[in-house]
Amino acid sequence: MPHSRMRFVAGRILRNEGHGDIFYRLEASVPEPVEFEPGQFAMVSGWPGSDPLLPRPLAIFRAGSGQKGKGTVEFVYKVVGRGTALLSGMHPGEPLSLTMPLGRGFDLGGDGRLYWLVGGGVGFSTVFPAAAALGRRRAEHEMFLGSRTREQLPPKEWTPGGDAKGRVHLCTEDGTAGYFGRVTDFVRERMTALADADASRLTILACGPREMLKDIALAAFARGAEMQAALENHMACGFGVCWGCVVALREGEKTGYRRVCREGPVFDAREVVW
Amino acid sequence: MVKTDLSVSLGTLRLKNPVMSASGTFGYGLEFAPFYDISRLGAIVVKGLSLAPTPGNPPGRIVETASGMLNAIGLQNIGVERFMADVAPRLTDAGATFAANIYGRTTDEYSAVASRLSELPSLSAIEVNASCPNVKEGGMAFGATAEGVARLTGAVRKSTTKPLWVKLSPNVADIGSVAAAAEDSGADAVSLINTIVGMAVDHRTRRPRLSNVTGGLSGPAIKPVALRMVWEACKRVKIPVIGIGGIQTAADALEFILVGASAVQVGTANFRNPRACVEIIEGMEVFMREERLPGIDSFRGKLLL
Repeated sequence: MPHSRMRFVAGRILRNEGHGDIFYRLEASVPEPVEFEPGQFAMVSGWPGSDPLLPRPLAIFRAGSGQKGKGTVEFVYKVVGRGTALLSGMHPGEPLSLTMPLGRGFDLGGDGRLYWLVGGGVGFSTVFPAAAALGRRRAEHEMFLGSRTREQLPPKEWTPGGDAKGRVHLCTEDGTAGYFGRVTDFVRERMTALADADASRLTILACGPREMLKDIALAAFARGAEMQAALENHMACGFGVCWGCVVALREGEKTGYRRVCREGPVFDAREVVW
Repeated sequence: MVKTDLSVSLGTLRLKNPVMSASGTFGYGLEFAPFYDISRLGAIVVKGLSLAPTPGNPPGRIVETASGMLNAIGLQNIGVERFMADVAPRLTDAGATFAANIYGRTTDEYSAVASRLSELPSLSAIEVNASCPNVKEGGMAFGATAEGVARLTGAVRKSTTKPLWVKLSPNVADIGSVAAAAEDSGADAVSLINTIVGMAVDHRTRRPRLSNVTGGLSGPAIKPVALRMVWEACKRVKIPVIGIGGIQTAADALEFILVGASAVQVGTANFRNPRACVEIIEGMEVFMREERLPGIDSFRGKLLL
């Protein structure tokens, strides 16, 4: 039986390969299959020694069944610092520690809604599983992926899966693939052109740089659309005890600090203090 | 196989083993129930409680550093009333031994929290946070000097009959005299060290990495400092000393006991490995069996000098 409750498990690397300019795709074998909500994440470590000390939060890209009742889990990550650099140097067969699944994922509940999935940079690794889930449900969806340049888009052979594939729009800031410009601008243009009836049933699911999320959220609110934003932050524990990863959220008239790892990482964009 | 006895006494309080979770790294304890049976711990020390809920510091609360981390959480907590109503009964149901870390802006606030918590029959001890480096009032305002610690300990002592532990700051010139001040003012134990004040800046943005500018350093990076201070405190006071600071493994925990600590608290290691505390307990059992030690007391303070 796959588990959907958080566990701390020992895994083993099956694959850990670089793609394009900046991405690594990591697949690990874990003791049992994991069932996750799109948008949930894992805390991952395995490099020797205590520097860096803390595991790294990585969005769960895919999970499946392995041999002999075991499970597999996949991540896509970008090397941004010492932890991910050390992770990228690890080889198949080496051990990993994983705590997962963590946090609150996307709410894909609405029938008859139109979904736009927006991934900025490595943010696509968070929205792909949502696209797969929507595809399986044959829900109406399109995906918008943005990066600085062609080599920083997910490789063509990486698809979310699912039966009904939504249209995929690529955007590059240097014009080397798809729309010439930021994904934010493309989404805003599309939103302006949207009929009122469609805008009111639009839900945007987005992950990427904070500026991107903010600009798209403001455009979405102007059209009466909903948006769920997957936020990132530095984390020590990933499961709600260190209180290090908080963001300011609106709560009625006041604001309060809520944990990205526990109350998030997916938040209703209207509640976020941008 | 003979069951290894890891039990220890902290004054009148008997713990099944010397491994506790450190306040601020273990939430309110229940968060760890998915990982193991939390009643296995010597004690859970819950996140610092204040009279009213506290919002904590703005984001930019943690930074990773070499073999450690800085935090400036600012004591965000649910407040003593919600803890008593919602959390304490569940800890009791889980069979957990638990102590409450407390914090106030004034001695009166500390006393009020201690007094209210003392109404909980299942609460094993009160740990006074005389050392948080990340709030302007309270905490370090008392913890920086022996006089401050004496005043705070004396005030809280009057408001509770529970075992009273005072958590000391390493940011002092002479830890021995601060520990002695706590002892003389009625503390049943001292716990040390809290985090060491540190700072991280970004040379490109030219800004501090923490919203609070400075924060508390924890993790294996601080273990040698902690070990030295625990050793000094143990030489100075007769009350039990609870060793804290960078403990990641059973060997680390045993080192603190070797220099004289009666028990230990495990903090930052819980972030890295949610099972750290039970792995340390299991590792200590193995060591005791290997060394054929009848109990912790036969090892405690047995440093060969």
